[in-house]
Amino acid sequence: MPMNILYVEDNKINAMVMDKMLSKNDSNVIIAENGSQALAVVKEKNLDLILVDINLGLNQMDGCELLQRFKKLDLLQNIPVFAVTAYAMPGDKQRFLNLGFDNYFSKPVNFDKLLSVISKIRNNLGTTQMN
Amino acid sequence: MPFTAEQFGILAEKTLHFLLILKKNGRIVAFNNRCGVLFPIEDNKKKAIYITDYIIDEDVKILNQSISSLSKQNSILSQSFSFATEKHGVLALKFNLTLHNDLIYAAGIDTTEEYKEHRALMTISKLTKTGAWYYNPKNNEMFWSKGCYLIKDLDPKTKMTRELGASFYPKENRKRIESYLNNLIKTRKPYEYTEKIITKKGNVKWVKVVAQPVIYKNEVIYVNGTIADVTDRHNYIEKLKYNEETKHLALKGIQSGLFDHHIEKNEVFYSADFKKMLGLPLDQDFVPEETFRKMIHPEDVEGAFERHLKNLKQPGNQYYNYYRLSDKKGTYKYYEVHGFQRKNEKNETIRMIGNLIDVHQRRLNEKTIAESKNRLQAIVNNGFAYTVLLDPEGQILMTDEKSLKIIKRDFNVDPSKTPCLFINVMPLNFKNTFLHEFNEALKGNMVKKEIERATNEGNVQWLESKYTPIYDQENEINSVLVSFHDITEQKLAEIAIKESHLKEQELNSLKSNILSNFSHEIRTPLNGIMTVSKLLLDEKEPEERKKLLEYLEESKDRLLDTINNLSNFSDLEAIRNNLNLKEVDANYTIETSFREYKHLADAKNLEYHLELDHTCPQINIDEDLLRTAVNNIIHNAIKYTSNGRIIVKINSKKSKNNVYISVTDTGIGIDKENLKKVFDPFMQESIGINRKYEGTGIGLSLSKRYIEILGGRIKVKSKMGKGTEFTIIIPKCL
Repeated sequence: MPMNILYVEDNKINAMVMDKMLSKNDSNVIIAENGSQALAVVKEKNLDLILVDINLGLNQMDGCELLQRFKKLDLLQNIPVFAVTAYAMPGDKQRFLNLGFDNYFSKPVNFDKLLSVISKIRNNLGTTQMN
Repeated sequence: MPFTAEQFGILAEKTLHFLLILKKNGRIVAFNNRCGVLFPIEDNKKKAIYITDYIIDEDVKILNQSISSLSKQNSILSQSFSFATEKHGVLALKFNLTLHNDLIYAAGIDTTEEYKEHRALMTISKLTKTGAWYYNPKNNEMFWSKGCYLIKDLDPKTKMTRELGASFYPKENRKRIESYLNNLIKTRKPYEYTEKIITKKGNVKWVKVVAQPVIYKNEVIYVNGTIADVTDRHNYIEKLKYNEETKHLALKGIQSGLFDHHIEKNEVFYSADFKKMLGLPLDQDFVPEETFRKMIHPEDVEGAFERHLKNLKQPGNQYYNYYRLSDKKGTYKYYEVHGFQRKNEKNETIRMIGNLIDVHQRRLNEKTIAESKNRLQAIVNNGFAYTVLLDPEGQILMTDEKSLKIIKRDFNVDPSKTPCLFINVMPLNFKNTFLHEFNEALKGNMVKKEIERATNEGNVQWLESKYTPIYDQENEINSVLVSFHDITEQKLAEIAIKESHLKEQELNSLKSNILSNFSHEIRTPLNGIMTVSKLLLDEKEPEERKKLLEYLEESKDRLLDTINNLSNFSDLEAIRNNLNLKEVDANYTIETSFREYKHLADAKNLEYHLELDHTCPQINIDEDLLRTAVNNIIHNAIKYTSNGRIIVKINSKKSKNNVYISVTDTGIGIDKENLKKVFDPFMQESIGINRKYEGTGIGLSLSKRYIEILGGRIKVKSKMGKGTEFTIIIPKCL
């Protein structure tokens, strides 16, 4: 069964290439350009993973704020949320993990690593379903 | 042989005696011719006349007493009565009164002359409080006149003896006083003494007793004496003695010279002690004014004389002067004169009494104190601190010159002349803490406090105030020294260090911000490039490949933009040296920039206006630089405005030489603190993790530098939440 992955990203190129990359690996990618679109999506779809860019553009809710909004929603309690961002200075990773992201990927994205993490999640999901 | 009736009748009429026969009620039964002078003629014809109608009032009582005291056993007595007659005035008659057959036979002789003498003596005795006495040593008989009884507060009917007389003297003196009288009898010489007595009523009196012997055949047969009450005089003399003694001691004590200046006579009297001091001849009572003037110190003569005249002219009786006088050795000493002026009815001083006081030591002390005070004041004035000395009430005792000047200028009082509380003349912002610190100091604590204030010129000044308690010899705090030390320079240096620290911190965070921004701005397109490359490796579909290549192109452009921006910024010098100046239409250049960002404004649904200048101003300029500068500002305005409008305006009417290009937005605005830094490179209104705006943050900084290269300048006005207006002022011709 393909996984449902939400990717919140304002940069269209980055969003499209992520979609292409993950789709090839048996995932169904839903793109949201900003926080409000993302919040609409999580209410409609059954998601397995959420990827969030941090800088979501001028005068927009940023990825950190969006995470806090997610955390207030009961239905997302068990869904992992990863930060995918170009903020990659020393200390940035720890900062985002401290804010509550379950994982952190800097841009340019290391897809080998991302795909292996996704497949682990997929395996766990399978186990859970079997149980 | 007895008188015949005829003989008796003649005798009764021819005799000098006044003969009367009275009834016991005083009615006159018969009288001889001589008695006619006692009664008025018309009364002789009356049927009944009474003797009491003719004698003086005070004798009426005595007459009645005399008549009633007569009886068969005691039928004769002798008594004087005074008659007030019309023709002869008062006649004093001495009568023998005899009772016979209930009638009183009175025979009187005229004692008027003797009586007058007696009366006078009585009066003297009364007025001088004097009494007379006599003593008969033969039979030890003692007689006291009425005056003696009065002095001793004793009833005059008391029988007098020598022993009783002596009993009024204090016991311890009696023997001595007895011996005076015994001695007189032995030596036949008169004596007198003044002694204390205690009267019957217990009063203390002083009496002067004089005694005179009457000698017969070389023997004292009689002693006549007087006694006088001299209490008042005695007390007066004692008091005088006391005053004299006090005065003497006082004069000795104050080392002063008493003087009495007779202005009219031009002479001065000096007390003996003083003459000794000054070496003046003792046998001369008066010292001529001229002599005295020569003794005054030459430097003091003029001033002393001026003060002297001034003293004489001024109203009132007080006199005060001072000068140095030479003593007998020729050395000068300081003297003060305190006197009392006596004035005549024209208010001219005619005499002056007073004393000259030797104040030499005091003057020397004052001089020493004044000198050390001057030295202290000099130290205080040359210090760097403002110094005020306060008494425990907070009143100013002393200040340095600077503080004095400030207080005089700001409060119009002179604390060195008028008593003045420090709290009333201190700068306003000292008042809050002053009382607390001052009370601490009065408890014996030294207190330090820093105060910030504005000077008269409006500059900021920091003062360190220090309160130091000062103790007197009894170890009590008798004053508090308050000093204000200007620590402005020190403080400014501290602030400068603090500020530079802050600046350093800011720069540090700016540096990491720059790095973070560039890293972010490079990584974002790089992500696209790398992912697309990875996808291209596997993508076979030509359409998909074409799309991916387009993505690649776009990401590459953005990466290049970022890098170009950075290199432009670091290459200002090259730009300055390669200006491409051309005459251009300002309207056209700005409109091009305006159009370039229209799609961004539209995407955010902002009102977006351009107002051209219809005079079509021409400017000689490097068009690329101006356009880049304006672009950045317009882009910035759109970036920071979520709704409302952006207005771009060109105006050349304000000035002959300049063109004004303004960009006004209704965006978030910039606060005061950041307005100063808005042109600093890499500064963004919102920084750090919550940074919401994309870009490197060097746009505005670059605009400013470009405009400056073009000879213009940028101004910015902003209000938080309302919007911002940037104005570029550019010369028409560089």
